[in-house]
Amino acid sequence: MEDGPLILLIALVAVIAITIGGIWYGRRQSNNLSGWLVDSRRMGPFLVWFLLGTEIYTAFTFQGLAAYAYANGSAAFYNVALNDLAYALGFFLLPAFWLLGKRYGHITQSDFVASRYQSPGLGIFVALTTALIMIGYIDLNIEGLGAVVTVISGGAVTGIWPDILGFLVLGLAVMFGGIRGNAWQSAIKDILMFVAIITLFFIVPTHFFHGFGPMFQAFHQKLQSRMVLPGINPKMGILWLITTVILTSMGQWMWPQWFGISYTARGPRSLKLQAVFMPLYQLVKWMVIVIGFAAVLILGYHKTEGNNVVMMLAGHVLPPWMLAIFTVAAVFSAIIPAGPIIMTSAGLLSRNVYQKLWPKTKDTTTYRLTRGLVLPLTFLALILAEAAPALIVVVLLIAYDFIAQLFPAIVIGGLFWKRATKEGALAGILGGWLVAAWMLVTQHDPWHGINAGFIALLVNLVLFFGVSLLTKPVNRLFLREFFKTVHPESR
Amino acid sequence: MRRMIVIWLLAVLAIAFLYLGASTLWFDTPAPLILGMPPLVFWFLLVPLATPLILGALYLWDKRANPQQAYFTDPPS
Repeated sequence: MEDGPLILLIALVAVIAITIGGIWYGRRQSNNLSGWLVDSRRMGPFLVWFLLGTEIYTAFTFQGLAAYAYANGSAAFYNVALNDLAYALGFFLLPAFWLLGKRYGHITQSDFVASRYQSPGLGIFVALTTALIMIGYIDLNIEGLGAVVTVISGGAVTGIWPDILGFLVLGLAVMFGGIRGNAWQSAIKDILMFVAIITLFFIVPTHFFHGFGPMFQAFHQKLQSRMVLPGINPKMGILWLITTVILTSMGQWMWPQWFGISYTARGPRSLKLQAVFMPLYQLVKWMVIVIGFAAVLILGYHKTEGNNVVMMLAGHVLPPWMLAIFTVAAVFSAIIPAGPIIMTSAGLLSRNVYQKLWPKTKDTTTYRLTRGLVLPLTFLALILAEAAPALIVVVLLIAYDFIAQLFPAIVIGGLFWKRATKEGALAGILGGWLVAAWMLVTQHDPWHGINAGFIALLVNLVLFFGVSLLTKPVNRLFLREFFKTVHPESR
Repeated sequence: MRRMIVIWLLAVLAIAFLYLGASTLWFDTPAPLILGMPPLVFWFLLVPLATPLILGALYLWDKRANPQQAYFTDPPS
């Protein structure tokens, strides 16, 4: 790409400017752990919208989803369905988490688990394990950043350097800006992403097909097998779509960072309002999938690495100034969403592991430790990205297989079923993780067309209910008060 | 509260059916084109537009009838 160095320079300047802006905006709110992690529960609907949006619209959306459509055809639509179904679930779940968080002073998901099951040990276990799973999610964004820089530089900047740049920007922005700074950066990132994707969506058909009608006609004539399920991958049929969407939509709110984001809201009503309007965001994903289909006809199949197709098309059709905006948007789609994930990981390890194991630790020390963990955690993700590079969607789907196993313990036991016990929760989670790991390692995903994580979830449910019924629940009076918060008497 | 939960679950099932049931029953076919688009491409454009209508109706009902509202109301902005 001829203008690659100039575009990268512009992108670098923009990244530095927006990083400093985020640090400046977040500095007043970030002087304690509650302010740094959940903005002291006072964020308005505007910033909460962008915080929620930024976690959905990551490097995965910008690059991974188009790559998936390019490689697998219509199976990519699973991702449109998963988020909308998750928003419908979130309509009740997120306000319920908020209500309990407000009443019992939860800041993290682990606080919620420890409080519901009256078990600091279970809280520590969930904090430690989810913090590790989340490193996979950070890795996904680092890989996305690497793909952007590699394509824009025309292959001149490759290897570890783009990832190191992402590590530094991400680590510094999170450490100094906190969640409020990240929300400000998210607003800019989402607007840039909208502009970039919508522009590409309208230019690609015009430039390569002479309009939308001829483009869809070309899909119909030349990509028929990709326009249906299972498409070109016989493993991804209707059963795979159904089980994957159910698993991932149940898993979406189990990512610990969503608890933090829901706690930032001023009240439950603003969270319900987000659930109503967030599905409109999915139209952007639909556009990205269409761009992925078009890439098969434009670039040829198996002619390029999947993660690069969007940037390659942008490089073909956009003028340099527009490509610069596109690049900044793509870079931010990789960097900004990782912010809440790193913050949550650090918060879980310091507040829910270190402070619980050493209870005399002062809150100020925990806050300093949380910020101090940001760079080491980001560095771990950098190492993972270098050691095991993969198609972005594959990383995401594997992570979902594991995180969704928290659903029975957190949603069924946490919000609906008083009889659930900590032993049942632990047995279900461990059983689910073992089955998921075994199926992935032995390459049984999908198994007879069923998502491996879904099968693990069924095993998890059997263990969760069975062991809970055989063990003793926590104090009945506590449970009555806890559940009354979510299920008050009707007026 | 039970009524609110039942109605919420019905909304979840309706959206799940649109995405998973209707798409596989009636739109998982290469032809005929709908508004010039392959059927699955058309359907996955339409449902994200329909979902806010379902959740919007649920929101309006919830605002009027949800007993949680009395338990912890939003502070004035």
